[in-house]
Amino acid sequence: MTPLSLTLRRNPFARIDMSPLTPDRLAGLGRDAIARIMLACGRQRIRVSELFDIAGRDASLLRIRRATVQLFRVGFQMQSGSVEIAGNAGDNLGERIQGGEIRVRGDAGEWVGASMLGGNITVQGNVGDRAGAALPGQLIGMKGGLILVVGNAGDRVGERMRGGTIVTLGDTGSYLACRMRAGTIIAMGRTGPHIGIGMRRGTLVMGRKPAAMPTGFRSAGALKMEFLRLLFKQLGTVQTRLALFRSFGPEAIRMAGDLSVGGKGEILVLLNGSQGQTK
Amino acid sequence: MRINGVLIDNTFAEAFPMKATRLIITAITPKWAYRAANSLTGFASSVIGCGCEADIERELPPEETPDGRPGIAVIIFAMSRKQLIEQVSKRVGQSVMTTPTSACFAGSHSDDQIPLGKTLRYFGDGFQISKKVNGVRYWRIPVMHGEFLCQDTTGIVPAIGGGNFMVMAKTSRLGLAACECAIKAIRAVHGAVTTFPGGIVGSGSKVGSKYKFMQASTNEIFCPTLKGQVKSMLTEDIGSVLEIVIDGLNEAAIREAMRAGVKAVCKFGPRKGIYRIGAGNYGGKLGRYHFHLRDIMK
Repeated sequence: MTPLSLTLRRNPFARIDMSPLTPDRLAGLGRDAIARIMLACGRQRIRVSELFDIAGRDASLLRIRRATVQLFRVGFQMQSGSVEIAGNAGDNLGERIQGGEIRVRGDAGEWVGASMLGGNITVQGNVGDRAGAALPGQLIGMKGGLILVVGNAGDRVGERMRGGTIVTLGDTGSYLACRMRAGTIIAMGRTGPHIGIGMRRGTLVMGRKPAAMPTGFRSAGALKMEFLRLLFKQLGTVQTRLALFRSFGPEAIRMAGDLSVGGKGEILVLLNGSQGQTK
Repeated sequence: MRINGVLIDNTFAEAFPMKATRLIITAITPKWAYRAANSLTGFASSVIGCGCEADIERELPPEETPDGRPGIAVIIFAMSRKQLIEQVSKRVGQSVMTTPTSACFAGSHSDDQIPLGKTLRYFGDGFQISKKVNGVRYWRIPVMHGEFLCQDTTGIVPAIGGGNFMVMAKTSRLGLAACECAIKAIRAVHGAVTTFPGGIVGSGSKVGSKYKFMQASTNEIFCPTLKGQVKSMLTEDIGSVLEIVIDGLNEAAIREAMRAGVKAVCKFGPRKGIYRIGAGNYGGKLGRYHFHLRDIMK
């Protein structure tokens, strides 16, 4: 069966909530049934058929073509299957995703993988603020899964993160890993100020030395962190794009913190990270 | 049945169900991985007195280990799940964690999991770090050489212990030469190990004893010095009997290991002092698995 393909006819006048359209929710539905699904578009509700040209049948691989930032909550609470987005995705991409895979060829908005529980999200372009962070009103951010951002990421990547892995090959904004509880962030590019503020546990791996020593962190010096060998080798088995980490060694400067909040988190600054070669 | 002039007895090896787990030990070099593995598998020849049976299965190249370092696969067998939990925890804690630069990972995967790093993590005294990578939990325990990395749990699988064959030779020296070749051949079989020193048993036992406090005692019918004194299984020309005991993860592995071992021994032939191949059993009443020599060597 050919993958189910939704091609956006024209740029919508308001943001469209794409949460009803996930592979697991569309499984078993015929093309007519899919066409009749109502989507929230601003204050109105519009049929899928009015917004998209529908082709193909296999909903386990959903392709969204000509996507724009007006499409938000793509892959909401998705449990299985695969979503490919040709174009840009709006905010809340993969919010609370539990399984499956989302791939975006362009950019994505804010809250990518917010409070996600599992699955993989790959964004070839840039993402906005708060990737993998906690949704408003929630105490815990991402708990599992993998977010890979090939481009740059905004502020507060992994804020209140509780598990899983975020990899940004480009630059990241300020407050990276702030109030992090657990999990792993790998930031290979340049980073903004206020790294790891309020970090309790978890690991932030940095490909470049930060401009200033993060407040509340103390250095243990340069060490061979054997755990990095395991991490880098295993990441390569999840995502072929991440196989590049296999050439990285375990040598890193370890900084522990945030000591001002009694934190036992760590920042590992790679000493042989292939700077600038990851993108 | 004769192979290269060596008589294959019409008998069978009797084996028992066990529980087993495979562990992968890695270290900075193969030498240090071997040191950890040798220590872990030390004093693990028989469940009768050691609590478990364990041996090195094979050396693993860096591509096959979870952390990309040289590794050794070991298999540990015990009579029960409880016994295996106890032995794994003690042996990894005392033998692997204490070896500089070592790390320990699960090598067998099943739904039935037993603690590995889950119990050892407390050595970290609150500084241990849990890490989930690809859905698998690992523990990073800070130690003086750096960090001891250990997978949270390891899978246990049903296994078989006690596959065996006996090599009846003119002298111990000639028997050992043949048995050493057999062990080399058995090492090539995945999922099967020989847990006795060098893989060869010099003092095979029978179940029970005239002494009530003994679980096992010498197998007098195969003792060359008792020929004439007991109802011996040995002919005049046999001066030494060596036993190769094989534990395996399944029947096929034991069968393949026995076949490879017997074949290697038979290559020596009577001219090099190898006369007969036999097997140890208890009349078929105790063990669930029977490995008939002549069927295996067909």
